[in-house]
Amino acid sequence: MTFTSGIDIGSTYSKAVIMDEHFQMAGKALVRTGFRLAEAALQAQTAALVDAGLDGKQIEYTIATGFGRHQIQFADITATDITASARGCAFLFPETRTVLDVGGQTMKASLLDEVQHVKSFRLNDKCAAGTGAFLEKTARYMGFDTNEIGPLAATSKEPVPISGVCAVFAESEVINHLSQGHAPSDIMHGAILSLVDRSIQLMKRVRMEAEYTLIGGILRYETMGRVLREQMSSPVNIPDPDVVQFVSALGAALLAQQRLSKLRAGEIREHAHEQ
Amino acid sequence: MTQLQTVENLVGRGNTEGADLFRAWFTELEQTAATGGHAAYVFVMGSMAEILRTFEIPMVFPEINSLQTAIRRVAHQFLNEAEDYGYSPDICGYVKADVALQLRQGDHPMGKVPRPTVAVLTNACNTYVKWAEIWERMYQIPCFVLDVPGTRDIRSQSHPGDPSFENDRLYVEAQIKELINLCEQLTGRKFDIDRLREVLGHANRMNKAWQRVIDLNRTQPSVFNALTDGTIYLGVSNSFRGSSEGSRYFERLQEEMEYKSSQRIGTLTNEQYRLVFVGVPCYPIFRRFNEFFTEWNGTFVNSTYLWFASGGANRAFEYDLTRPLASLSEGTLLSVRDAMDSMFHQDRAVLEIAETFNIDGVVFHPIKSCRTVSTGLADGRRALMSARDIPSLFIESDMMDRRVVSEAQLKNRIDAFFEGLASRRLQQSAKS
Repeated sequence: MTFTSGIDIGSTYSKAVIMDEHFQMAGKALVRTGFRLAEAALQAQTAALVDAGLDGKQIEYTIATGFGRHQIQFADITATDITASARGCAFLFPETRTVLDVGGQTMKASLLDEVQHVKSFRLNDKCAAGTGAFLEKTARYMGFDTNEIGPLAATSKEPVPISGVCAVFAESEVINHLSQGHAPSDIMHGAILSLVDRSIQLMKRVRMEAEYTLIGGILRYETMGRVLREQMSSPVNIPDPDVVQFVSALGAALLAQQRLSKLRAGEIREHAHEQ
Repeated sequence: MTQLQTVENLVGRGNTEGADLFRAWFTELEQTAATGGHAAYVFVMGSMAEILRTFEIPMVFPEINSLQTAIRRVAHQFLNEAEDYGYSPDICGYVKADVALQLRQGDHPMGKVPRPTVAVLTNACNTYVKWAEIWERMYQIPCFVLDVPGTRDIRSQSHPGDPSFENDRLYVEAQIKELINLCEQLTGRKFDIDRLREVLGHANRMNKAWQRVIDLNRTQPSVFNALTDGTIYLGVSNSFRGSSEGSRYFERLQEEMEYKSSQRIGTLTNEQYRLVFVGVPCYPIFRRFNEFFTEWNGTFVNSTYLWFASGGANRAFEYDLTRPLASLSEGTLLSVRDAMDSMFHQDRAVLEIAETFNIDGVVFHPIKSCRTVSTGLADGRRALMSARDIPSLFIESDMMDRRVVSEAQLKNRIDAFFEGLASRRLQQSAKS
């Protein structure tokens, strides 16, 4: 059996996926990225190997993706998270045309063509506005942990409008709303709504087309997916909660399988980047 | 002469000689600063170098001084000083670096810059006038603003021979005569029309060679990088316009490029992607920015910057030496108008380049500092996309301010752009 791995070094979490030659996910793992990117990648890879019941020697090809991709010495090549997430989404939902990936510090929208290659893409601005960091900070200012974002927002009765999505200025806005007596759950729900508006705006910029597939750590929160579905008044694909954060790593592992086959068939030569 | 000697003598000569000339130009400015002689502060879009050189008035290009601080990685010090003084972070980085330079009494990383005794500017950039007013307040110097009529209707541009063009030309000529009077008053010298003819002759030689150099980049592989090498050529084009050194430099540059073209010596050893750059370069990480593209074997074969930052010299307008003032006014009107058009109607310019330079993609680079060149880029990109199936990339940074330059963000977008280009190429080859 031929195994490949995809490592996604994101700004907040590092994810690894092991895939077998039948394109089945054999194992996966997630660790906090922290400051030592290479170490995080190794930890994620090792944990995914344990999950798959394999050892490192059985991995025949590795593709690194995400912001820290260039730090991963054991990867054979790198691919951007734009390409990797597109492949991952198309693998899970073959009719995908628009991908929205909301991560810790980035928000990406991509439009795919009929053969699922990226036709155009847009990323958030040079700040964490409208990303997971905004929700995390909002939760933290109110004394909640990241894991509590979903349950907290789910209990909201009436969302509070949040005008901005700046992760830094969120504190003053949250304090203002708390001082006016709003419930933390309503503030959290409002923050998610604000994030949803920004997500839709970004997708519009790539001239969004159905089917839509939404991925990234923020989609772990049920409220985010539900509100996006409501606002877009269109069916959207959201992978299972235990996969939604792994789609770029999955895409990278899939690319690794495809590339390895081509290399073995002599169709391509080794190259520093994915094509 | 063996081929090896020819390669050694010719290839890279333009960059070396350009750097030498630029150094010499700064040395001259230092001497002017030391003696307290006249210095005209001018801009790249309509410097009126032909008139100022006729009066032997040294020219200072504040835009070039400012970008040099960014290339030398000290721009942030200058920007901070101007902001400490009270200028907003939102104001043009070139202006702020220059303000700090004036506050520093002209101390620049390349040497001492003389104070202005006159400012000569056009309306090609809407910041020029406000910028010159700063010097006017600081030094109580005359500011001469040459008002060049722009394109009134993009669908029906006027041309030499049209009555409306002739009216515009006369308007420019009258202003040039006023500038001559001002220069006479400043220097105490009489205007020498034969000297102007000589200057115009040098400008003709430079323009002709410059246009040929740009045209030679149609060669595959391309013979120079429009972003990096091109910036060196632009420096000489502006500061030595109308001089024997300048015309000789461009003729020798043409010789180098003709040789590279005939020998198929490219700027990259394995040119894979031919790109056009639209906007102003990212000077705070000038080299690294270019590497983001060359690492993928991508190179810039042309840019709108080569047009507007040379003040329209790329048009290769040939002055008629038998009627110097009339011809200078015609050339000024055409070249400055063209420089403005290549900023405001860059879609037309890019399409023209796409037709003849066999390009793979277009990189639009809006900058935070300059709304003038950046505002229309989104429309330009849309126009390009609707007219031609050419991949494009839209990335934002700045020409001066490293605080708004995010290398990681830029690299991710650029890598994804190239992955798209590579994928597109694979699909095309699979179809054929």
